[in-house]
Amino acid sequence: MKDKIKKIIGKKKIFYCKHLRNIKNKVYENDNKILGIIKSSKNAKVYYNKNKGIELKNLLKNVEIQNVSTDNRFYYNIDFFKTICSPHTVFGNLCIDYSIILENSLEDLKSKLDKSSQEFYENELYTIEAMELLIDRIINKIKNEKIIENISNIKNKKASTLYEALQRILFINMLLWQTNHRLNGLGRLDKILIKYYDNDIKNNIITKREARELIKEFLLELHRFYKIKSNVLLGDTGQIIELGGKNIDGRYECNELTYIFIELMEELKLPDPKVLLRVSKEMPRDLMKVSLKCIQTGIGCPLFANDDVIIDRLKDFGYEEDDVYNYGTSACWEPYLIGKSSAQNNIKSLTFMIPFNDMFEKENLSKVSNTEELLKIYKKYLKNYIEKIIDEIKEVDFEKDTLLSLFIDDCVKNSTDIADGGAKYNDLGLTGVGLANVVNSICNIEEVVFKNKEMSLEELNKIRKENFDDNNELLKRLKNTTNRYGKDNEYVVKIANEIIRFASDVMKDRRNKLGGKYKFGLSSPNYIMASKDFLASFDGRKVGEPFAVHISTDTSDAYTELMEFASKLDYKENRFNGNVVDFFVTPNFINDNFEKFVDFLMLSIKVGFFEMQMNVVSSEKLIEARKNPEKFPNLVVRVWGFSAYFKDLPDEYKDYLIERALKNESSN
Amino acid sequence: MKVVISNVQRFCLKDGPGIRTTVFFKGCNLRCPWCCNPENIKFDIENYEYKEEKGVYGYEISLDDLEKEILKDKEYYENDGGVTFSGGECLLQFNKIEPLLINLKEKGINICVETALTVPTETVDIAMKYVDEFIVDIKILDEKSEHKVNGNVTLYKENVKKLFDNNSKVIFRIPLVPEYTMTKENMKEIIKFLEQYKAEKVEIFKIHRLGEKKYKTLGKEMQEFLEVSNNEIEEMIGKIEDLGIKAEYCNI
Ligand code: SF4
Repeated sequence: MKDKIKKIIGKKKIFYCKHLRNIKNKVYENDNKILGIIKSSKNAKVYYNKNKGIELKNLLKNVEIQNVSTDNRFYYNIDFFKTICSPHTVFGNLCIDYSIILENSLEDLKSKLDKSSQEFYENELYTIEAMELLIDRIINKIKNEKIIENISNIKNKKASTLYEALQRILFINMLLWQTNHRLNGLGRLDKILIKYYDNDIKNNIITKREARELIKEFLLELHRFYKIKSNVLLGDTGQIIELGGKNIDGRYECNELTYIFIELMEELKLPDPKVLLRVSKEMPRDLMKVSLKCIQTGIGCPLFANDDVIIDRLKDFGYEEDDVYNYGTSACWEPYLIGKSSAQNNIKSLTFMIPFNDMFEKENLSKVSNTEELLKIYKKYLKNYIEKIIDEIKEVDFEKDTLLSLFIDDCVKNSTDIADGGAKYNDLGLTGVGLANVVNSICNIEEVVFKNKEMSLEELNKIRKENFDDNNELLKRLKNTTNRYGKDNEYVVKIANEIIRFASDVMKDRRNKLGGKYKFGLSSPNYIMASKDFLASFDGRKVGEPFAVHISTDTSDAYTELMEFASKLDYKENRFNGNVVDFFVTPNFINDNFEKFVDFLMLSIKVGFFEMQMNVVSSEKLIEARKNPEKFPNLVVRVWGFSAYFKDLPDEYKDYLIERALKNESSN
Repeated sequence: MKVVISNVQRFCLKDGPGIRTTVFFKGCNLRCPWCCNPENIKFDIENYEYKEEKGVYGYEISLDDLEKEILKDKEYYENDGGVTFSGGECLLQFNKIEPLLINLKEKGINICVETALTVPTETVDIAMKYVDEFIVDIKILDEKSEHKVNGNVTLYKENVKKLFDNNSKVIFRIPLVPEYTMTKENMKEIIKFLEQYKAEKVEIFKIHRLGEKKYKTLGKEMQEFLEVSNNEIEEMIGKIEDLGIKAEYCNI
């Protein structure tokens, strides 16, 4: 790859389409029409210059400026056919501090640069100049005076109204997408926007209704390119807005905008952008009600992140208090310190099943006579596996990033690019998958082999490797044993915690290239991708069947049981990189029991889940929509950490959602 | 001390106030043809074989273990939640489980029962000491027809009187079954009865057929019943509300 780039580097403009190729592949799978346009275009251009600032200038000199109609209130355009050259891994999946662009003009930002590092200084200066250049191009082209004013103010004024503030966020956000960044979070918009909103209302600049309309249009702008923005699957854009949250003196903080954002999500029923609500037992009950009404529509948001659990975990890990209370998340659920960190929180998947099956491939287990011995050997394999992953991560090189460096502390203060370790925090995160399958496998082996002595471990292993063919009785039993992940039973919790604490120990002392630590969590996008072709497992999973989703159960136990279980998992040390309880509810169930369901959610915060999301849909509807997609064009479901149109999902995702919905309903 | 139960179900939202855990005891002295828990009629553990399926209804559990199960969701019992004893006829177990009731009361757990109240008066005396809310079925009040459910209207009325004399909190529940509970005579009796005993609330519900398969596994067939129309439901609600009592249709 690098050789190829070197060859093209001599030319000022190169047709290097790593990024554009990505888009093509994805669009090809999901939407033939758009593929047509991209393929037929000869104008896909990628700009390269050794000086990243000049590179950006060249790009922004050439991106297409779209004329906006007089009805439009914002300028937000991304020219996906042009971008900058990124031979190394581009930082993504994070969230800059947008308040910087609200409280500073570009002039102000320039004045903060110092010349202690000439290279950094020049790069950043050119980067700001590139933005000015783009601003000039926009205001020369468009006719809408209000937008012209808002955009041109970015150069030399602070934001003064809500309208301006929203435009500025869109402006920087659009630049991030334009420059190859993916999964761009939006941050705590209720918190950073409230002073503009309050001021506007107080001074009669806009009415509450107009403010709501503005925010609605803002959300629709963000949604506009959602197909191209999507990462692995359609809908996976990482456009997450965090609302609410405890502040440093322990009080829960939310405001009118918190409610407005959630109510608008309910009204729009779009899968993207998406909302995360930071919750606490101190939060007002009516905010939970508004959230549940939004969830009830089935759009899968807001996702809840429990401040009462998460904040202490972040402090213990060593983050500074001020930063901790301002946490948001990466694209899905990995807690992320907004505007402070280079953390790539989903840099690799930690597939707990890989070392488990490996152990059965390589080890002679005929002498193993109890669970402790088995766990001991598993740990040996788990250690090797994790160390290998970390060694692989060490190889990753990051692309210099002059744009992010302006908006992530302390790059400017240190005159150091984010790729050279300029950010305040540089930890990397793994996302764990398949822990449930390992725990259930161990419980089953304990029951069938060690306790009941029905067969030897070798015999059971042989049946497993043959995919349980002709052993339906046994398979059914293995799927229904009493000790299972998701049950609040001491034995299961003990095994799960033993494994994850051990995983922590293995990575605890390792440091990455930028000096940061490693962390992991128990939620991952990979439950289907990592399980394809993966051999059958002792939990009763057949070859190729998906792994368990996040923290969920494969039985139809009460939700309270799952919550109690989740609250007993040990999220301390470095195990806080996203731990989502994920379950299904039928719309009728919430309808019939609305107030009690609010009770349940409020009490679950106290019980102590880490994060929580749910799909509110009946299996009947999903099955109908699988058969007749044209009848359900707007049906939205929750996939791993995002929401998507059901019709856009690959079949295996649809089927897994149906399977899980049916399981949930089987209890009634 | 051990008891036989068929299930402990957590996160029940229909069996009383708040979030509850419901314990289903095995064993009932009535024989309602519409019963949706046929597996809870016999007092003993029952093994069954049906088609490919082998299974068992009921298991023994010590009072200590049962208490542990009930307390698992303790954190969810705020806002008046707690435990609901159901069945079968749970009151028939009450002299056996008194130590458990004492422990639960000590821990401040709210206790509800779902009962047909056709039980020896002594058990009602025990229950009144511990139970916070009685959910009492009204089935057949017409004495000529009481044999159809193996009932005893005199005993039932005596027990209801006891609860009201004691100022216990009572909610009535009426299953709507045209052939049995909704006959002209019985409806008349029900209204008369409701007028006399003004409960906090009356819930009416249509019977469901979710237990149909369980009947089959036990080698029985669930009887067919006439449909209840929305009009009839509304009419019923109207009649109860006319007495100044809160009436609710429950979709179970
Ligand atoms: S009283 Fe209840 S449990 Fe007993 S037979 Fe009647 S409906 Fe069934």
